Amino acid sequence: MSRVALKCPNCGSSNVVEDDLYAQSQSVCVDCGSVVSEGFLANDPVGGSEVYYSHSAPQSKRPCSNLIKGLQRVRALCRVLRVNSEIEKLSQTYFEQAYNHKSFINVSLTKKEALAGSCVLISCRMHDWPVTVGTIAYLIDTDSGAVGAVYQETLNTLNICIPTLSVTDVMEAHCQEYKITSEHVPAELAAEAKELTKRALALVELAADSWIVTGRRPVPIMIAATYLSWQSLQPTKLRLKMTLDKFCQMTKVDKNRPAMKRVTEIKEMLCKLGNEIPWEKQEITPNNVIQQVEDILSYRFALMRKALKSYEDSLKADIQQCDAKNKKTMRTKTAELKTSSKTGSSVLETERANNGACDEPNWGKRLLFAPPCVVNPKKRKRAPSNQINVTGDEEISDSEIDSYIRTHQEVREIAMTQKLLCQESDNL
Amino acid sequence: MVELSGTTPKCNHSGLNAHCFTLGSIEIICAAGELLVVHIRTDVHLARVDLHDASSGLPGTSGQTPQLFHSQAVTGTTTTALPGNTPLYNTPLTPMTPITPATPASESSGIVPQLQNIVSTVNLGCKLDLKTIALRARNAEYNPKRFAAVIMRIREPRTTALIFSSGKMVCTGAKSEEQSRLAARKYARVVQKLGFPAKFLDFKIQNMVGSCDVKFPIRLEGLVLTHQQFSSYEPELFPGLIYRMIKPRIVLLIFVSGKVVLTGAKVRAEIYEAFENIYPILKGFRKTT
Repeated sequence: MSRVALKCPNCGSSNVVEDDLYAQSQSVCVDCGSVVSEGFLANDPVGGSEVYYSHSAPQSKRPCSNLIKGLQRVRALCRVLRVNSEIEKLSQTYFEQAYNHKSFINVSLTKKEALAGSCVLISCRMHDWPVTVGTIAYLIDTDSGAVGAVYQETLNTLNICIPTLSVTDVMEAHCQEYKITSEHVPAELAAEAKELTKRALALVELAADSWIVTGRRPVPIMIAATYLSWQSLQPTKLRLKMTLDKFCQMTKVDKNRPAMKRVTEIKEMLCKLGNEIPWEKQEITPNNVIQQVEDILSYRFALMRKALKSYEDSLKADIQQCDAKNKKTMRTKTAELKTSSKTGSSVLETERANNGACDEPNWGKRLLFAPPCVVNPKKRKRAPSNQINVTGDEEISDSEIDSYIRTHQEVREIAMTQKLLCQESDNL
Repeated sequence: MVELSGTTPKCNHSGLNAHCFTLGSIEIICAAGELLVVHIRTDVHLARVDLHDASSGLPGTSGQTPQLFHSQAVTGTTTTALPGNTPLYNTPLTPMTPITPATPASESSGIVPQLQNIVSTVNLGCKLDLKTIALRARNAEYNPKRFAAVIMRIREPRTTALIFSSGKMVCTGAKSEEQSRLAARKYARVVQKLGFPAKFLDFKIQNMVGSCDVKFPIRLEGLVLTHQQFSSYEPELFPGLIYRMIKPRIVLLIFVSGKVVLTGAKVRAEIYEAFENIYPILKGFRKTT
């Protein structure tokens, strides 16, 4: 009989021995006589085999609960945006890939939600489904800058190349947001969605041709185009009087400050084209351009060509005028030189001034249409650029370095002041 | 060019019926786009060399005249004249090494990007007590709760330095490599004067930023369509197009106004090369509307 390392369940004694008396070996408690275990399983540890089930049977690792929640979020977003099943499947694939990547596995939950939005955005863009970053940011209730950052990171991580979104693609979806049909607003202010979209799209294309769209956020341009197209569909006094803010309020669309600037820019562009209409005798100004929008859009290609041609001609005339003026001033200047004792440099200066008046230093003003940031540049205070020529190995004067070091007196005073401040803050 | 395998005495020089041979300074004048592949070997005869037997009489040589491959050895100066009269390279020129052919004259831009910022690092080689530095230097600020380094500024060259307790320093704001080096040396000198055994080890330019203006508007939407694999244009997020050039490895920010920012360079030549690469591409998107 050999001692077995078991505890008797009856009396708790560890005095359990193996008994080979019978055909089957048994483990018997010496103190109370109860059989602890019997059969060939007696030598197995009580409580089961030593091999864990998960080791013996192949078990797939359970997906993380946040991943499951994230996938659900992706599906919800796809359903809200009403995308097709291909886009939904692709977004889920991207989400799973990105989630398990080292750059996203340990980030905050907000970022993981932004990741879900970014994956939906990427899949939509791959399938030419027009969705903006702003829409995704609105749906997941995050700042669009944060979504943008996660979006760029996701593109880098998954190594995807996607086509850029064009404003014209998003235009239709944007126009559908406006509550402008006759069931939402009175009849004189209502407009049919299709017509509104068509005209707004044409305005956006014109704006794109005249450099108003490139580099700018799409939403203010779309709002401006929709507003102007609504006004021009029925240019009644009521509509023309309504401001952009009131229009946004009426159609239940969020206000947008830059949209007003875009309205001004588009109106200026329309004026330039409107002035080329042959049958219009009066001058087209931003105040009366809305009534001409229909004609301008119908003949926009011809008007654009005409406007460019007449601008080129006027430029040539200007240059010729300048040349004639310069020649005249040169002649008078040389005559003056002969009579008076002016220095050569002053003559050159006046020449330069004359030339400056003719060819603008701002090349944007020489073109009919130029990006607004070039035509109206922001005046920046430029620090005088120090074009000092150094070799990098010059001698450094001690006096210069000493000017950067405090005197002993200063150091003592500062140390004292800091001590006093610390004491004050401790007292408080 | 006939390759001369060995030096020949002047009396055997083909086609030269000269009585004397004068050496002058080498001047290479390059007009825009007229760079050629040139291999030049110049034989410099030292004083008291028997010109009829150039190989003998040269001390310390085994019968070979010194062949010049660098301009520094020549007493004259080498100059390259480029458009705008600005020196293109500050590094010593090597006229003897083959110059790769540039783009033909019709495509050269004539615009030289201006350097706006240089970031460099240097190791002062000793541990520093930032509190002492902040207390005793006039031009230093130190907020350990915000950032674990002293921010020091000097007036000339107008730069800012981040000085860490490990002794490493980052210098930013200089407009040229030499200015950056001079500024870093000045900061090291200030730290030295404050009582630390500062050295000047491993000075390295980490990043250079340049900018220029092509003076015509650029259709960013078109550029992103044709150069999709290099470009990223998201007007909702940033008004410029981000172009990641592979060779040289430079990132360019291209704006509708025609202004271009180039960054990521370790040497000046990379900025110039990147701009010369992008200029023909941008010209293709020039639209006169």
